[in-house]
Amino acid sequence: MSSLSASNLNSHNRGEVAVSIKSLNVVYKTTLEKRPTLKNRLLQFSSGNKQTRIVNAVQDFNLDVSYGSVLGVVGANGAGKSTLMRSISGILPPTTGRIELYGSVSTLLALGVGFSQEMTGRDNVILGGLAAGLSRSDINNKFDEIVDFAELREVIDAPMRTYSSGMYARLAFAVAVTVEPDILIIDEALSTGDAHFKMKSLNRVKELRGHNRALILVSHALATIEEVCNEVIWLNKGKLIQKGDPVSVVAAYKKFLEVGSSPMIDEDV
Amino acid sequence: MSAIDVFEPFHRGLPPLKKYTKQLFGRRAFIAEFAKSELRRQNFGSPLGQIWLVLNPLLLSAVYFLLIIIISGHTDSTRYAHLTAGLFAFYMITNSITAGAKSITAGGRLILNSAFPRIMLPIAASVVALFKFIPTLIVLFAIHIILGLPITPALFWAIPLIFIFYIFSLACAILFSCINVYFRDTQNLLPYLTRTLLYLSPVLYESSALTEKLSILKTINPLYPMLDSWSRVMVKGELPFATDVFQSLIWTLALLAISSYLFLSREREFAVRI
Repeated sequence: MSSLSASNLNSHNRGEVAVSIKSLNVVYKTTLEKRPTLKNRLLQFSSGNKQTRIVNAVQDFNLDVSYGSVLGVVGANGAGKSTLMRSISGILPPTTGRIELYGSVSTLLALGVGFSQEMTGRDNVILGGLAAGLSRSDINNKFDEIVDFAELREVIDAPMRTYSSGMYARLAFAVAVTVEPDILIIDEALSTGDAHFKMKSLNRVKELRGHNRALILVSHALATIEEVCNEVIWLNKGKLIQKGDPVSVVAAYKKFLEVGSSPMIDEDV
Repeated sequence: MSAIDVFEPFHRGLPPLKKYTKQLFGRRAFIAEFAKSELRRQNFGSPLGQIWLVLNPLLLSAVYFLLIIIISGHTDSTRYAHLTAGLFAFYMITNSITAGAKSITAGGRLILNSAFPRIMLPIAASVVALFKFIPTLIVLFAIHIILGLPITPALFWAIPLIFIFYIFSLACAILFSCINVYFRDTQNLLPYLTRTLLYLSPVLYESSALTEKLSILKTINPLYPMLDSWSRVMVKGELPFATDVFQSLIWTLALLAISSYLFLSREREFAVRI
């Protein structure tokens, strides 16, 4: 869990290590039920059915991410991309291995910002910021910028349940980029919002890259990955399949998607 | 250049406690802000909302008082003071349990997207319950004056007793927030649990009315010595029994230790269970 407040204004040299991941394994137990209940557990206990399964989400993963670079992450559903992002963010600690962060992290993961749908956008921004480790004065200083970037000034005091999914995504993106993190992780969040906001978000990502921040971008939008990233990794079933320049990795991944297999994956198996 | 943050496997399933406590303390502003937002959301920020905060338990105590009159056929003003004081304290604990149970599952988005000590969510829920309890003390004080109950130095014992009540409420909030992640129907069972706890505690009846046969309740119900001490202090103006205070402390600290251990050893899983 990193604090965003202290190092926001740190400057970093291009090529300096921002994230170092060593022999990372993430294993967790998850439930098979959508909504686990005591009633179901008792019923299924008597029938002897297993309720949980072990997920080897990330396996023996090593990676360094440098400042000034944008790392793209591609992979099919269930490849372990989101688990990897959650581990780097400190949300899901490693089972074995080690993750070192050399700067403050801001995350914009799949489900966006927010604490409670019943609370207003303003309360959610403040509570989300405080939970992420920002101070109240940091949030106050950035609040107007967040609201203006999200273009939500008129509805910021309305409960978030009244927001559309696009408004939700805009606010989430605005919070994540406005805190000026050293390391920004964006998981499937650039594809939300309308065309105007999508363009605005992409420009902001490019701007951050120019400021020698480190960015990790998870996306199924391969054209965006090719346009923005300097390096891409391809994950499959928790393993790193390929790492390299965007054009060659995306091409290999596209081929895999078309034929359903790849020499690299087959070799790995 | 040294790393600002390092994530490593939890030792024996527990997060590094020193770092965890430091991060929790660093986020105390969240707890205060959450309590304010939550009270505002529940309309307790407005004058009418604050009146309702006091009126609700007061009406509840009036209903129970009516029940006692009907069942026993007679009553007195001390009985009403005992009932009101007990209900107000009891409702702080049940409010904390109810809000605490929902705190992790309701904070799903934040848990999935941000790294922070998860225990601050049930702590914030218990602080809301405490904030709702504080105005009722004014009502208790007013009832005390109107009924001419004794004003003695023993009334100062209310302060440590409220502290014990709060820590006990916090421990319950932590425990039920964790259980509810694994069994989402816990919330449905809570009304039955809290109602049973009310009947097993000296709220609707005084401790002296308990028959010898049922005296086991004094030992097995953690709320019994707490609420009995509370009534002695707030209604009779007498010192609580040392054994009751000691027993309350032991129950509270043991529950806090067990629930915190359970929570901390499980919180790594919350992001994949929600």
